[in-house]
Amino acid sequence: MPDPLTMIFMHPFLQRALIALALTSMISATSGTFTVLRGLSFMPSAVAHAALGGAALAIYLQSSGLVPFLNPASGALLFSLIVAVVTGYVGERGTTSRMEVAVGVTFAMAMSIAVFFMHYIPAEYTPQIWGYLIGDIYLLTVSDLILLSLASSTMTILTIIFLKEFTYLSFDMEGLSAHGLDVRLYHYLLVTASSLAIAVATKAVGAILVYAVMVAPAAAAGEWGKTVTSVSLWSFTIAFTMQMAGLVSSMLWNTSPSAVAGILASLIYIGTILKKRKV
Amino acid sequence: METIVDVRNLYVKYSTGTVALEDVSFTLEHPTFTAVIGPNGSGKTTLLRTLLGLVKPTKGSVRVMGIDPSKQSSQIRRLAAYIPQRKSIDYNIPIKVKDVVLMGRLAKKAVPRIAGRRDIDAAEKSLRLLGLEDCWDRPFPELSGGQQQRVLVARALASEARLMLLDEPLSGADVESQYVILDLLKDLRENSNVDILIVTHDLNPCHPYIDNAILLNRRLYGYGEPCNLMRLDILSKVYGPNVRLITHEGHVYAVIGDIHA
Ligand SMILES: Nc1ncnc2c1ncn2[C@@H]1O[C@H](COP(=O)(O)OP(=O)(O)OP(=O)(O)O)[C@@H](O)[C@H]1O
Ligand SMILES: [Mg+2]
Repeated sequence: MPDPLTMIFMHPFLQRALIALALTSMISATSGTFTVLRGLSFMPSAVAHAALGGAALAIYLQSSGLVPFLNPASGALLFSLIVAVVTGYVGERGTTSRMEVAVGVTFAMAMSIAVFFMHYIPAEYTPQIWGYLIGDIYLLTVSDLILLSLASSTMTILTIIFLKEFTYLSFDMEGLSAHGLDVRLYHYLLVTASSLAIAVATKAVGAILVYAVMVAPAAAAGEWGKTVTSVSLWSFTIAFTMQMAGLVSSMLWNTSPSAVAGILASLIYIGTILKKRKV
Repeated sequence: METIVDVRNLYVKYSTGTVALEDVSFTLEHPTFTAVIGPNGSGKTTLLRTLLGLVKPTKGSVRVMGIDPSKQSSQIRRLAAYIPQRKSIDYNIPIKVKDVVLMGRLAKKAVPRIAGRRDIDAAEKSLRLLGLEDCWDRPFPELSGGQQQRVLVARALASEARLMLLDEPLSGADVESQYVILDLLKDLRENSNVDILIVTHDLNPCHPYIDNAILLNRRLYGYGEPCNLMRLDILSKVYGPNVRLITHEGHVYAVIGDIHA
């Protein structure tokens, strides 16, 4: 068997996987970092499962001929937007504990919808839904990649432009609204843009593993980064290297790429916490 | 004499049905350093939030420097600086001290909110006045509780406000930091034309510094010079029977059974 590097040059699907992995790492560095900083680390998971529910509904409407032009991706985006708006509305006053409940409830609702429609969806379509649940970085089409690069570059540009605003929001929403910052605007911008980006990434990473692949790196980086920028860059680095490791291991030993990435990223987080405890 | 704050028959009822303030009336004249005291849940934070236009009065009227904060909140926010209560700030966010001090000024600028020479000078000066000039580049989460409170006061100071509204700025601060903060506030009131309204659950350290105190427990129980409020008949209505009074160097202090940390 040729070595992984040669394989990547030979196979376009591996090249697509490599690009996707860089792009999802960008989403981890932006959406992942800020959801962790805002105490909403559970939100990406909820969004990803909502995307799954939305995809199931869209596939049902499409396959039953009710709304033939609907595709799974638009259902996924619509549902993740609902999670964002509900969470955003509850979180306007900045109380994260109540936001977590809102996240949990919308998560439960989206999953129930997914299970409900799976029952009515013809068997030949169910793999598409499993795709959203488990994710498969090898099955991405060129149009998936285009959508993913749009999502990750938009999120990155927004983060660069509004880095101060997003940071202020996480630090002291109440105080800065009294200083004249339009915290509501930036709050909704952050939760909706993050949610859409995560919904797009779900097809590559899988709803179950969104936490491990996109949130755990940001959580680990948050434990040692001294500025938001350094947390974000570290988060990218961890997400990227761990996913690379997952990809290589899948080529050599036929393991699941996101699963290995998720295990490694979570181990890094756990290691960071243990090391901090000791000193 | 200029009226800074004019509150008349103010009622605030939250959407949950809780009545936080009931028929509260008082005025503050310039120059003033006033403290709002009262037990937990007595509406102190609600009062400050109403003055800033973050909460709308259910009934009654509020004027801050002649402006109605529920209608023209952006004008108030240009004139006032605010430190919210500790619990609404996330002290774990990775951010440098300089970024905290600058944020009060940068929040008022347009995106991308670049700090100019004047912003940096004002921020450095504020930090120096609070005795933290060495902390400019340090990570905020690594400071002690008292240093963190001082940095927040520096943030308010750097925004060059006419009125400072500080919600429990002394909580989490050790005695030294408390006096650094109080000395600075008194100096601002005396030499810089800044009016100050602070919330505190412990009046004693503030006592020699302030002009007036407002005793609040949903309703207004007293308003005036701190020594005049330190009467058992008034305090026991708000704090219950466990209040004792001590006189020291001409000031009367209250010792309250159930002070919260
Ligand atoms: N956003 C809100 N929604 C509903 N009720 C609220 C809200 N904020 C405060 N309250 C209620 O209003 C009352 C007054 O609260 P407030 O925070 O003003 O008290 P406080 O004097 O600042 O208390 P503490 O000393 O604990 O800070 C309390 O009963 C509180 O539960
Ligand atoms: Mg309060």
